[in-house]
Amino acid sequence: MKKMAELERKLQKNDRHQAVLYLFCNFTALMLVTAYSAMMQSVTVQTVFPEGGDSRKQMYMVFGLTLFGCVVFTLYASSLFFRKKSRQLGILMALGASAEKLAPGLFREVLFLSCVSGAAGTAAGVPFVYLLWNLFRILIVDSEEMKLTLDWEFVWIPALLLIFTVLCVCLMAYGYLKRTDIISTVQEEHKNELAKNWGRWCGPVGIVLTAAGAVLGYFSPQIYMKTAKAYPPDWLNGIYFIALAGLYLVMLHTVVHGWRFGKKNRYKNLIARSMMKFQGRQTVNNLLVISVLIAGGVFALFYIPALGSSVFLTAENLEYDYSGAWRTDQQMLTEEEIRKKAETYGILLKDWKEEEYVSLGMGSRVETERNGKLYLEYREFASEGRFISETAFASITGNSVQVEPGTYCAAADQEEGSTLYLVQSADKLTNMTTMEQMKVSFAGYVYCNTLSHRDTKAVYVRHDQDYKRTPQGAEEQWRGKMLFFNVEGEDSYAFAKDFFYSCVDCFGPECEIPYYYDRVKKYDAERKGEIYWGDTEAMTPVSYDRPDSTDFRTYWAYMPKSRILDKNDTLPTYAVFFMMFIFASMVCFASALVIGYTRCRTVAVLNRYVFEDLKRLGASPGFLCREVRNQCGKVFQIPFLTGSSVMFLFFILIFYANDGKYTSSEFLALFLCILILAVLGGILYGIYQKTLNTVLRELKVGKVTEIRKAK
Amino acid sequence: MLYVKNLYKSYKAGKTAYPVLKGVSLSVAQGEFTAVMGPSGSGKSTLLNCISCYVPFEEGKITLGGQELKGLSEKELAKIRNEKLGFVFQDFMLLDGLTVRENVLVPKIIEGKVTREDEKRCDTLLKLFGITYIQEKYPAEISGGEKQRTAVARSLMNQPLLILADEPTGNLDSKSSRAVIDSFLEARNQMNATIFMVTHDSFAASFCDRVILLKDGNIYKQLERLEERSLFQDRLLEAIKEMSGEVK
Repeated sequence: MKKMAELERKLQKNDRHQAVLYLFCNFTALMLVTAYSAMMQSVTVQTVFPEGGDSRKQMYMVFGLTLFGCVVFTLYASSLFFRKKSRQLGILMALGASAEKLAPGLFREVLFLSCVSGAAGTAAGVPFVYLLWNLFRILIVDSEEMKLTLDWEFVWIPALLLIFTVLCVCLMAYGYLKRTDIISTVQEEHKNELAKNWGRWCGPVGIVLTAAGAVLGYFSPQIYMKTAKAYPPDWLNGIYFIALAGLYLVMLHTVVHGWRFGKKNRYKNLIARSMMKFQGRQTVNNLLVISVLIAGGVFALFYIPALGSSVFLTAENLEYDYSGAWRTDQQMLTEEEIRKKAETYGILLKDWKEEEYVSLGMGSRVETERNGKLYLEYREFASEGRFISETAFASITGNSVQVEPGTYCAAADQEEGSTLYLVQSADKLTNMTTMEQMKVSFAGYVYCNTLSHRDTKAVYVRHDQDYKRTPQGAEEQWRGKMLFFNVEGEDSYAFAKDFFYSCVDCFGPECEIPYYYDRVKKYDAERKGEIYWGDTEAMTPVSYDRPDSTDFRTYWAYMPKSRILDKNDTLPTYAVFFMMFIFASMVCFASALVIGYTRCRTVAVLNRYVFEDLKRLGASPGFLCREVRNQCGKVFQIPFLTGSSVMFLFFILIFYANDGKYTSSEFLALFLCILILAVLGGILYGIYQKTLNTVLRELKVGKVTEIRKAK
Repeated sequence: MLYVKNLYKSYKAGKTAYPVLKGVSLSVAQGEFTAVMGPSGSGKSTLLNCISCYVPFEEGKITLGGQELKGLSEKELAKIRNEKLGFVFQDFMLLDGLTVRENVLVPKIIEGKVTREDEKRCDTLLKLFGITYIQEKYPAEISGGEKQRTAVARSLMNQPLLILADEPTGNLDSKSSRAVIDSFLEARNQMNATIFMVTHDSFAASFCDRVILLKDGNIYKQLERLEERSLFQDRLLEAIKEMSGEVK
């Protein structure tokens, strides 16, 4: 070995463990970000997730958290790499190596490591997506929509992250080379990074800030809309950063003070606490990032019970096994045809009901946006509603209702969970054929789950005499029928599917529209010489060619309701949503676990000499194990407890804020969330035990089980 | 050969500056073996680090072999460290991934290229300090004394004007300490090396030609060795007692 390059190669070979850790961290971060962005931008997801919809926003939000976590993580991995490297650099500098002399070797090394790991991670992200997504398809659910088609434009996201990580690591290398204090460079590895030693107030204040950030973040758009009379700007989401600041304080309190109250056994955790304190800055940052990632993962996972329980209970609570509606100008199956079809599946139908409805224009005050401002203004043709008579309602529900003449009632579900979209301020109804108008006022709700506005047009009830007058002269396209029936004994899924497909076949192209396609609004727009937005590309189309697609099942204006179909098809219908959110949560948890694992390994690497000293002072393996556990335990325990409880409480808030109460499906969702957290906690505990054993092995303390036996 | 004049250095903690060296002036002649002693916090290591150009200093002048160090660029300072200075540290500062022989050769590798003459010199140094038999071993495989002798050999590899040693016996047992001091004496006697050593150890210091006592960032006293080593150590201990206020 005669040249600098040879010397550097040999030193690099010796430092391969550190390099491997860096490679692993960078590879994992890039792989997870690539995988998430590939999935998020895929044709599969972009087709199913409604543009501008909450689910898409949530998906992007979780991606933001993942990206934040991975960026912090790669920076942490780089700093860890340089902490170990600094001694070597310092010695060479002390012996007279100039920055110019060290630069080529150092830059070559960091460029090689960051580029190779980053490129490999990016490349591995795509097979990772294919593997995981196809595993979902094989093991959990498959549907036509689940077919994975990537849009390769996603590549710019990991490419930017790759450039960012390479730039960061080069900047760090440059910073080390530019140092003039060689002694500090040599001692970098053993330098303490004390966390801010703020008082015990930071914990409680942190909790308050976290709660305040979440509540304000959630309600601020509504407050903004009410006060500024405009749609909230994106920057308003920045209020959630208050919660992040709160979480930081909570983590700081955890590291600096701990959460044990009282002064009993005050020396019990002294060593572990001191070690954590002396690497406090990184520990707090790590705990914060892991908490955020766990919160993101839990948020994504909670989407599934939240949606699933709602769909499941809605189907369960329907008064009829089957119901449907069609326009009179459509050739719907007759009762006889449906009964015959049922018989072929060995099913007998009962409780057959068929009632008329008329679609009317409703005049009411509506919120409209002009030049970014919101205005509440009266529209004579604000929306379309399906109206039935008191008698029809009584026939359908078996409960008679009294609707005063000149008024109307809105059909809501028993728990009033879907009243938000019912028109409650209409003062005028219009027969859209004769343009005859009637003055009305809202008279409250009538209850029927089957008629409630859930993925279909809203239904309203009028006084019999009033109702009789309204359809007179109305064209067939504005009149329709509703049917309801039950089955004797056990229902058949095959019949339900057949019934559904047969219904679809009965409708013409004029009915190939989602339920939010409003013909009254269209009339209003066209009479003003405007193009109705439903006739533009902005409208999510539904197609008879894809009756099993999420869009069709969820949004088709004449979608029949069937308890067995809704229950059995919940998973395949929402498969892409469910699987995407499972995927997102897995990415978040994987990132959190890798950071947690690396942090625990750091405990071993940075505190090795402390543990050696403790051994010399006569510390037993049991004592050492406890000290390691006290540190590693917190890396997993605190972020999990914080992240999951913050999200759980946030969901409690969302459920309540939706409609000012909790519905049975929301209670079910919360119960399922608790079960999910219990399972997650178990998995995390298993991984924590594995990590603990790795750290104990590195510190040559022994295995947890062996230590327990020895005790 | 080494001149230090009115050296002032402080460390900052927050907004407060704590002076460590308060105008230290000294000189070391060619071939002289000098020790600096003093209680913890007196500024010994800081003085050494300033002379080594490891840490920047605020005021004063350091001249090495006629060249003033202040104002030199990092590149020029690196050249001086490599060609004119040799270093021995308390914790050896050997590179773990290199063998003993390779560690000794590091200054030459940094300089550019290792020639056949350099290898011969390396062999001579290994032999001189009795570490030939461990030349293929790695630092993790040898004792503290052997590590420090390796460090001494490394410090002499580039035939420096001055060897700077910071507590070279601090981590060693008495036998190893003696071996390291003998290494310095060998270097001084056979190669006319100039050695500037910071130490807490009066035994190690008693081998030096001169001992500078440092107290609170100032030179308290300088003692020249005129007598036998053990008597010089006694005088040294008396001076230390006096400095600590135990003798009036």
